[in-house]
Amino acid sequence: MNKRYMLLAGIIIALGVGILFMPAKDTAKQTQPELLLAAIDDPSRFLSTDDITDRLVKKDPALMLIDVRYESQFKAFSIPGAINIPADSLLSASAQEILNQKEMDKVFYSNADVTSDQTWIICKRMGLQRIYVMQGGVNKWFNTIVKAEKPAETAPTEAMDLYQFRVAACQHFFGSPEMAAAPKVVEKQKVTVVKKTSGAASGGGC
Amino acid sequence: MIGPLIPMGVIPETWNNVIALLLGVGFGFALEASGFSSSRKIMGTFFGYDFVVLRVFFTAAITAMTGIFYFDYMGWMDMSMLYINPYYVMSAIIGGIIMGFGFALGGFCPGTSFTGIAIGKIDAMVFSGGLFIGVFIFSELYPLFQGLYNSGNMGAAKIYDLLGMRETVFAFLLIVAAVGMFYGAAFVEKKVKKVEY
Repeated sequence: MNKRYMLLAGIIIALGVGILFMPAKDTAKQTQPELLLAAIDDPSRFLSTDDITDRLVKKDPALMLIDVRYESQFKAFSIPGAINIPADSLLSASAQEILNQKEMDKVFYSNADVTSDQTWIICKRMGLQRIYVMQGGVNKWFNTIVKAEKPAETAPTEAMDLYQFRVAACQHFFGSPEMAAAPKVVEKQKVTVVKKTSGAASGGGC
Repeated sequence: MIGPLIPMGVIPETWNNVIALLLGVGFGFALEASGFSSSRKIMGTFFGYDFVVLRVFFTAAITAMTGIFYFDYMGWMDMSMLYINPYYVMSAIIGGIIMGFGFALGGFCPGTSFTGIAIGKIDAMVFSGGLFIGVFIFSELYPLFQGLYNSGNMGAAKIYDLLGMRETVFAFLLIVAAVGMFYGAAFVEKKVKKVEY
């Protein structure tokens, strides 16, 4: 056997022994801080209350509206069609199963923006796709949809159209604004979870 | 180039094709310089008189692997940022069998056939022509193969995860196995009658 080969084989085996002593890596899958920062900077996660209402009225099957407030608040008042995952139970197995449905648009809302946005960041860090925040939360939704303000007579047509849409949406959900204002018990909706295997990564190769 | 330098923005995207061209030229030069433009080189692996293909592939694999481990350990690169091809079990097996037949019948792999063309080998030209015919047939009949082509996707599967092994242990065992194989190949080469080419 050639001496040079023996030497090279010795070197690579020595390096291999060195690899053996390398510390175990933390293999937890998490988003890189740089990417997370860029994602937080990007305002495209915010969806308007009117946009969400439109999709709710049209019964968009890909829309999953998630109320991240406490269960008591959810029961007192919630947007029709929403499901409840309190922010503190976000990491539970059942919540994870719901959130891991890749083909759904998961839209978080809370009273205002803070809790929903925090939930969004945690979910983003977990690598979830298609997650959004309803800007303004349930407060804005209530104030614009249920208590829609009639624009002035001189307002542009778009403003009138938007007002008509909001009134119609409110009637669609509650019948009348007065009925919506009265707190009522909303039954927790059951969610059937369809488990999907992880999809293919983007193509590429040699 | 797959990365991680370009996706991370260290090298601008526009340099992608330039780097690919330079790497390709270098790769072709190395293939030709080490005699891979002759179909007898690859056939040597099947007939047992020349195991240089096996040595090249395993040397490349263990060298790159060792490099990645040490670079990652030093903090020069992040192993988790590397792109890993998704693994399709069925298409990998069937495609492997077809490609193996192509190797054994033609005596070239796609890369070496192009180096063969570069130095004017007629058999390499015929081989490459066949390659394009194969690509054409596959593309035209893709709807037929689609189900098989996309079946058994395991994502970015890693063999040490499947074996439940620590990656460092697997790396060491692979190096030992490769060196053992080199030794075995040299042993066979000595036994088999030498072919001059």
